[in-house]
Amino acid sequence: MTSADAFIAIRNVAKHYAEGDLQRAIFADLTLDIPRGQFVALLGPSGSGKSTLLNLLGGIDLPDAGQIRIDDRLLTDLSETERTRFRRRHIGFVFQFFNLIPTLTAWENLLLPLELNGLASPDRRDRAMELLDKVGLGNRRHSFPERLSGGEQQRLAIVRALVHDPLLLLADEPTGNLDAATGERILDLLLTLHQHAATTIVMVTHSREVAARADRILVLDGGHIREAR
Amino acid sequence: MTPLLWRALLRHPLRHPWQLGLTVLGIALGVAVVLAVDLANTSARRGFELAMNRITGHATHRILGGPQGVAETVYAQLRVEHGIRPAAPVVTGYLPRADQPGQLLQILGVDPFAEAPFRDLAADLTGNDFDLRALLLNPDAALLPEALGAEVVLKRGGQRLTLHRAGTLRGAAFEGLIIADIATAQTLLGRSGRLDHIDLILPQGPAGERLATELRAWLPLDLRLERPAERNQATADLSAAFSLNLTAMSLLALVVGMFLIYNAMTFSVVQRRALLGLLRALGVSRRELFAGVLGEALLLGLVGTLLGGVLGVWLGSGLVHLVTRSINDLYFTLSVRELTIEPWSLAKGAALGLLATLAAAWLPAREAADAPPGAVLSRAHLETRWRAALPRLMLAGLGLLAGGGLTLAVSRSLTASFAGLFLLILGCALLTPPTMVGLVRLNRPLTARLGLLARMANRDVARHLSRTGIAVAALMVAFSTTVGVGVMVDSFRGGVAIWIDDLLNADLYVASPSVEDGGNRSDVLVPAALAVLRDTPGVAAISTYRALKIELERRPITLIAAELAPASQTGYHLIAGDADTAWRLFQTGEAVLISEPLAYRRQLSAGDRITLSTEQGLHPFAIAGVFLDYGSEHGRILLHRSGYERYWHDPTVGSAAIFAAAGTDLTALRTRLRERLGPIQRLLIRSNRDIQGITMDIFDHTFTITNVLRLLAILVAVVGVLSALLALQLERAREFAVLRATGMTAREIGGLVSLQTGFMGAAAGLLALPTGLLLAAVLIFVINRRAFGWSLPFQVDPLLLLETLALAIGAALLAGLYPIWRMARARPVDALRAE
Repeated sequence: MTSADAFIAIRNVAKHYAEGDLQRAIFADLTLDIPRGQFVALLGPSGSGKSTLLNLLGGIDLPDAGQIRIDDRLLTDLSETERTRFRRRHIGFVFQFFNLIPTLTAWENLLLPLELNGLASPDRRDRAMELLDKVGLGNRRHSFPERLSGGEQQRLAIVRALVHDPLLLLADEPTGNLDAATGERILDLLLTLHQHAATTIVMVTHSREVAARADRILVLDGGHIREAR
Repeated sequence: MTPLLWRALLRHPLRHPWQLGLTVLGIALGVAVVLAVDLANTSARRGFELAMNRITGHATHRILGGPQGVAETVYAQLRVEHGIRPAAPVVTGYLPRADQPGQLLQILGVDPFAEAPFRDLAADLTGNDFDLRALLLNPDAALLPEALGAEVVLKRGGQRLTLHRAGTLRGAAFEGLIIADIATAQTLLGRSGRLDHIDLILPQGPAGERLATELRAWLPLDLRLERPAERNQATADLSAAFSLNLTAMSLLALVVGMFLIYNAMTFSVVQRRALLGLLRALGVSRRELFAGVLGEALLLGLVGTLLGGVLGVWLGSGLVHLVTRSINDLYFTLSVRELTIEPWSLAKGAALGLLATLAAAWLPAREAADAPPGAVLSRAHLETRWRAALPRLMLAGLGLLAGGGLTLAVSRSLTASFAGLFLLILGCALLTPPTMVGLVRLNRPLTARLGLLARMANRDVARHLSRTGIAVAALMVAFSTTVGVGVMVDSFRGGVAIWIDDLLNADLYVASPSVEDGGNRSDVLVPAALAVLRDTPGVAAISTYRALKIELERRPITLIAAELAPASQTGYHLIAGDADTAWRLFQTGEAVLISEPLAYRRQLSAGDRITLSTEQGLHPFAIAGVFLDYGSEHGRILLHRSGYERYWHDPTVGSAAIFAAAGTDLTALRTRLRERLGPIQRLLIRSNRDIQGITMDIFDHTFTITNVLRLLAILVAVVGVLSALLALQLERAREFAVLRATGMTAREIGGLVSLQTGFMGAAAGLLALPTGLLLAAVLIFVINRRAFGWSLPFQVDPLLLLETLALAIGAALLAGLYPIWRMARARPVDALRAE
């Protein structure tokens, strides 16, 4: 599915990895559009390239061929520094292993994206505090990540990814490392925040149940992408 | 860089206090050694300048003589016949305190009535205890510094000389100085009728130049007119090579420190690869990460440098005595009482510490900035990159070795030689990781027999090459410098021992007791004493010597006027010139033998000529041969007594060597000589063993500072082993937890850690041996030759090599203790969860 006014437009993207002397194709010719504000779940077997696609969308990695356009900006044409600045301002990341900054407290972790973007105004700080309260971590704000439970860490990771109002949230198996009940609560939180801020979300998951709560389900397999819903 | 980003980076070292502390200590020790040596050198120079300035005062010119100084009559002629005023006579020298023989006091003999235009003594004589009458008329009166009190007892030869205060010298500038009337000083120093020099103040400009030309024309042949400033500079330059050597050695400690900082910073970057990748994923730019890691290093450098500054001043106050003692033994008399802390030295030390830290952290900071975002830089990826870089590392190492060799071969300059040496060290360091891979392979058959633990330990070293390679390279550099310097000192000592054993082949040596006073002066043997030596039964032959300082192109060299018994001649090992011809020419008194350092410095050899300033003016002497000599780096010239008497008109003898007749009881001969000489002159009679002992003591004094610096380098190395290996093992907490979870006991993992750290220590120690021997070869055959002109043997004490190896392994095993203790106490489940 492609359209001219898509928020994310992936065109004929190819990506290979070297395995010894051999080049293994992850995708050979991937084309995909995602409209603004959509919650997309990305399914697929291990090694199918889900995380690679996420890294390409975040500008962390570059394709070997093809174009990626996000919000009318051609990511593949940006320099490394420009991609970093784009990522800093417009993208939020949530990882399976939370990946909080271990040397910053919960509150400082939340403030970091704001500071990096020069947005740490009193208003924004108040809003960040509200967000922290909303996810039930207001009283844990001075704790370092290692003192938080897995669920608390992931809640913090999600609000950190959203605190600077990104256009796009990329989540790599955000519930993969949590028990079912905590995973469910994290997903609720993600959906609530998504509905509230109308942020576009691309979430990699292995779970059909988790994927079922997304607006759209895509399956990546054998280098091809297909719509599952 | 936002404050939070700083916090995110800086809290990492704070969470690893051991690593942080050892890194800061490494920087601090490096800075401390460099600063201490610089402060000691500066203090020695300041002490020298102070001593020179208080003698020179406002004099523009100075009349100097040969070894005998200037006759008093010249001063009278200058003032009376030539009407040259202002002119002031000066007698100066050093004498030890009787109660503190190590403390030399400078005696300055002046004419109080001629002094006013030259030295500001009157202005400093405050208080009402100045007694001019006593100063002029009492032969035991002098102006004494406040610290000495009302009187001071000096020692000259076996005599005790008491001086009473006729006035007090106040202020730091007068510490260690005694001012006396010229006659008193002449008596004290045994220079009746002679002056050391005459100070003059000549007008500036053409009038002064004209007067100087007239004076030069009038002066007797053995006297010359000089500018004191130029002369002081020439004297100060004498110890330049010594100071440069010390500075280079201290820089070696800093280089070792730099390797350790590099290791620590690289390690801290590798440890944080996930954090750095995450920060990149969150939009932190490369530049920000680079600045962050460099800023963190700068902060560590700042703390280390501050600590190093305090340590350096403390260490410097200890080193200044060693430096002063070495300068006294080797160059000129110098008395330094306190450390001069110059802001410039502190600034240099600080700048060096910070720059060294920044330089060492540059590559790790680049590595951090290049970390791909999103924590995709896996350890395996990092190790793959390292392995791929091994051939390039090897090429770069070989390139640096070639560059170092070329630098040493092409340039003769001492600074370039040190640069070549540093290139060689760096080259060897780069070759360390590839060599380690080879060592691991070599180790395989052995570890295969020792079981799974040993196999794992061996493989892990190669598997974590990104960290183990740098750590072992850093340690190898640290230990190789200690091997290099150790072998050099041992070789030097061995060379000197053989030389002195050959040279002092007579049975007894006789000299005035003043040879033991220090201050480079000695009294002569009276003719009656010489006659006793020749006539005493049991004496088969004697050799006589008169050693004097003369100048050759402004540098002092020792002229030895000698009449040598045939046995004494065999003590001189000729390295150029045919021995028979050389000794035959020597006997004529028209040819000289010169020492190796003099020949090397002036590029002279047998058959050349050397022009010396004699009492009859300049005279060219043929060079009959060159002899091996470690007596003076500036050079010694051996001239037959007949030639000396002919050109210097001096019949005196300073010392004598006695060969006993076969079968003579040496103790009885010594007693007999003492009894016969007693009524004539008080003289020292020493055996060759006594003098050899004294010579070796002086040698050991001189190298005390080298050994201190070497010990400091070892200390830096041990700190390095601890910090590198400690960090390496602490980082493996999760790996150990997995091993514990799979059923390994704490004891077994302790064994694994010990095997691995022991292997790394052994690798560093083993690789340090060839590198250290290479360094020793450069120090012995290139640096020492170029700095001092000495050719030294290459002697390796196997014990030194074993010590180094044991120290490297011991320190490495010690480094494993804390991680083992921590691992034994930790619950595996916590470590597994922490990741």
